[in-house]
Amino acid sequence: MENNKKNSRRYFLGNGLKLSLATALGTIGLAKFTSKLKAKTDNNTVETMELMTTDGTLIEVDTSEVVDVKHSKDHKKKYNLREGMPNRKFVMVIDLAKCKNALKCQIACNKHHYITGDHAWIKVYKMQEDEDTAPYWMPTTCMHCDHPACVTVCPVDATFKRRDGLVLIDNERCIGCRFCMAACPYSTRVFNWSEPAYGEETEITMNMHMQHVEHNSIEFTGMPSVKGTVDKCDFCPHTIKENILPHCVTACPNGVFYFGDKYEDTVTNGEETLRLSKLIVDKHGYRLMEGLGTKPSVYYLPPVDRLVDFEDGLKDFTDFKSVDKPE
Amino acid sequence: MKNTDKLTKDLAPRKFGKAGVIWTWSLIVISVLGIIAYIDQVIKGQMVTNMNDYALWGIYISNFVFFVATSFVGTVTVAVLRLTNNSWRTPIVRIAEIISLASIIMAGITIMIDMGRPDRLLNLFIHARLQSPITWDVIIIPTYIVISLLLLYFPLLPDLALLKKHYKKTKPKLSKWYGKLSLNWTGSDAQKKIQLKSIHIIAILTIPAGFMLQTIDAWLFSTLFRVGWDSTNMGAYFISGASVAGVGALVAVVYVIQKAYKLEDYITDYHFDKLGKFLVLTCLIYLYFNINEYLLPQLTSKKEEITHANVLFTGEYAPLFWFVTVGGLVIPIIVLLFKKGRKPLPMFLIGLLVVLGSWWKRYLIVTPTLLHPFLPIQGVPESWRHYFPSLHEWLITAATLAMALLIITILVRYLPVIPIQRTAEERELLKKEENNKS
Amino acid sequence: MNLIRKNNENHIINRDIASKSLLKIRYFFLMVLSVFLLSISLNNLWAQEVQKHRVRIRTDYVKIMDGEVYFDIKANSRINKRNVNISNIELIVTNEFDDEEIELGRVKTNMKGESRLILKSLSVIRPDSTKTYNVVVQFKGNDTLKSVSKSINFKDAIIEANLITKDSINYISATLKDANSNSVIVGELLDVQIQRLFRPLKIGEEFNNTDDNGSILVPVEDGIPGVDGMLTFEIVLNESDDYGTVKDLISAPVGIPIVDESTFDDREMWSPRSKTPLYLLIIPNLLTFGMWVIIVYLIMNLFKIVKS
Repeated sequence: MENNKKNSRRYFLGNGLKLSLATALGTIGLAKFTSKLKAKTDNNTVETMELMTTDGTLIEVDTSEVVDVKHSKDHKKKYNLREGMPNRKFVMVIDLAKCKNALKCQIACNKHHYITGDHAWIKVYKMQEDEDTAPYWMPTTCMHCDHPACVTVCPVDATFKRRDGLVLIDNERCIGCRFCMAACPYSTRVFNWSEPAYGEETEITMNMHMQHVEHNSIEFTGMPSVKGTVDKCDFCPHTIKENILPHCVTACPNGVFYFGDKYEDTVTNGEETLRLSKLIVDKHGYRLMEGLGTKPSVYYLPPVDRLVDFEDGLKDFTDFKSVDKPE
Repeated sequence: MKNTDKLTKDLAPRKFGKAGVIWTWSLIVISVLGIIAYIDQVIKGQMVTNMNDYALWGIYISNFVFFVATSFVGTVTVAVLRLTNNSWRTPIVRIAEIISLASIIMAGITIMIDMGRPDRLLNLFIHARLQSPITWDVIIIPTYIVISLLLLYFPLLPDLALLKKHYKKTKPKLSKWYGKLSLNWTGSDAQKKIQLKSIHIIAILTIPAGFMLQTIDAWLFSTLFRVGWDSTNMGAYFISGASVAGVGALVAVVYVIQKAYKLEDYITDYHFDKLGKFLVLTCLIYLYFNINEYLLPQLTSKKEEITHANVLFTGEYAPLFWFVTVGGLVIPIIVLLFKKGRKPLPMFLIGLLVVLGSWWKRYLIVTPTLLHPFLPIQGVPESWRHYFPSLHEWLITAATLAMALLIITILVRYLPVIPIQRTAEERELLKKEENNKS
Repeated sequence: MNLIRKNNENHIINRDIASKSLLKIRYFFLMVLSVFLLSISLNNLWAQEVQKHRVRIRTDYVKIMDGEVYFDIKANSRINKRNVNISNIELIVTNEFDDEEIELGRVKTNMKGESRLILKSLSVIRPDSTKTYNVVVQFKGNDTLKSVSKSINFKDAIIEANLITKDSINYISATLKDANSNSVIVGELLDVQIQRLFRPLKIGEEFNNTDDNGSILVPVEDGIPGVDGMLTFEIVLNESDDYGTVKDLISAPVGIPIVDESTFDDREMWSPRSKTPLYLLIIPNLLTFGMWVIIVYLIMNLFKIVKS
């Protein structure tokens, strides 16, 4: 009897232990399995990509989330890239009465063109013609002159003037003689003295290469920059052909930049849309160094009835820096 | 002919002595160092120089301008002196032609060093735009190289034939080369006729070619808006400056060769005296241009030009400016106006001073203008407001100068530095005249 | 025998006891197991609930007269105290009327968090009994974002616009009406603007309110340039609470034609090499050719010397 009891107890204990062990293992296994399932639905793959949002911040995105977007409007009219968009003449108006050296234009331009050198394409000068005249802030872009000195002296047709007014650079053809830089009186051109410091194959480089492969490099200046060639402000042809304003225009918090088509006689800074001819007459628009005969496409509105004090801009003034470098 | 034999013996190229060998090897070493520095530049990009977006041209360009200027000596000496019947030029024409050729070849090489993308050199020919002054440069420099070569070669033919004879026994291989290069020159009437006609043509052709070369070089600067460059004077200024640089270089090289080869019989004090007068003339003309260029802003000028002139007179570049103007121009004029100053040794020193002054003068033409653009220099590192060449630039520039001297050295080593045949003929003519007189 | 039977009995009894206990044990362990599983899954669910962000949807309804109708839907969310556009999410747009629901379409937001659902015309949507159109935009949610739905209600308005000429001045006349009752809408703001490249150019006064007849009259200035003189006018009721955005388009050749001022076709110093100025084509080439002809002649002379 006792034997039997013992047996049954042993039987009970033995089986019980086996069962409990099995259960425990099974539970643990199941728990791990479900957590892995959960992990999988949270992060499809471990791969992430670093991309830039439209306001210039870097975010990490799953590569699975990134979809190749077919560029919508590249399309309606195909035009010769050296000739430009038909029936357009792009101009810019810069209102010096509103500029307070916020430098948001420079930051946006630097980010969207991946500028890694020491010299930004758009510079905000602290101007004062003489001690007796008033100081003011003057943003300068490339003037896209109608009689461009730079295009005249290029020996290989690497920089050229388009029908729509843009002066662009083909940095597959540029030989790096820098004659155009010597010719430009507005000091707007920038040279790539070394290999652009994009770093090792970062996601930004890959993103740039992706864009570059899809589009011709003439309209995507600086993406990428080429060692030993010249770069400059290009009035963002890749953006304006999608009917989106250039980056400096949208980035300016004070509405300093107006951009538009002279043939349509309309310029806009994103908020206000005005007739160009009326604006120039009402506010006495002028062009820089008109006497040189370059016929620039950028008009300046004099700093009259200023909205802000000149001194407010001094806190952001960096005499020796125009490009923020990563640490 | 006994005469020509003696002449040939005197004037035939000889092996270099110790000094010559050391000289040649030093030049080779400097050249190699420069080539290494250039390879580094091609790999890393031009960041190895101290050029920046404002001082976008540096000593590569001023060196290039110097070489182009010095190559004018061929035109000036050979053509101008010939057309004005200055017969004393005979012993120095060959040296002048050699310097001219060496300079223009190095000018062509030096300009390629300044290119950011030398791998795209062919674009200059495939996609050339005639509106650009650089394209005109690309056309005129090869043209001038060929003209200089022909200017050297045609008068050389009879001398090569003489040398072939001279070395037949002692150096048969060399003699064969001379023979080949002399194009079967026999001195026949037919050959002489062709040769003399050709020399006449090339001597005339080199004048417009030389003038065009200097003018195009000047228009590289004066077609731009910048203060200090935007001068309608530039073409004449450069031609005058090139004469000074060329003749100065000629004087220095002539002295060295005379001493090295002991050619006092052929290049006499008389020749130095004449060269001295020639140099003074070119310097005086150049001084006049300098006065126009630099004194005028002091009298009345636009704000920017006054600023530019002040930078040179009293500012950052003052020491260099005064060295170049006083040392490189005024002192030579003063010294050379005296007969004592036109003796060989002072001439050599003055020649060196003139060359040194010419080289730094081109630096003064290129750099200060670039460092005060129309809009203020802001938003770039502080070092960009100044420019002084980096080690790479010095090495490469020194190498180009060494290579120019190397070309001269090699040509002097293997070619007769004084035209043998012509000297012989002139001496015969002189003797005949003397005989006739007596 | 008794012992054996007893043993057997015991055995049987023991087996019974054993099997009963086994059953109990099995039952017990099954419970434990299920508790484990439940807690894990609940844990998972809990975790998800804590991390999800709220999504804000903004919908704009635009109707183009005699044309299409579209809904511009923007999705963004406040993540880490910053506004982030939510891209690549699917939004379901449905039309609700009288207890029925029809799906109008599905769209996916682009990189900027924007999407647009285009419908051929307003007739695709059915209004409810009050003649109000009810459209709902739904987002089902995902692992990181909560589900959300936003509804937009609007009535149909129509704009009748014409270009009229009075005393040789051009005017844009427009009348705003409620589509259902056909009565005019008084005192609403209409924008009259000309289509331009980046932003339209407004003409007329700053505020054009419809008068008692529901109309506005805006003069068109002379001298506004357009391609071949054509101008496209937009008369817009912008983001009205009741009627959404309604737009009417008129194209009329009342502008001045655009003249191409560019020097692209001319022979200038800055033209590409196919258009170099004639004097530069002729003179340098002539000079170069002249010099090289002489050089070639001289080289030929060299050959002559060799031969003779």
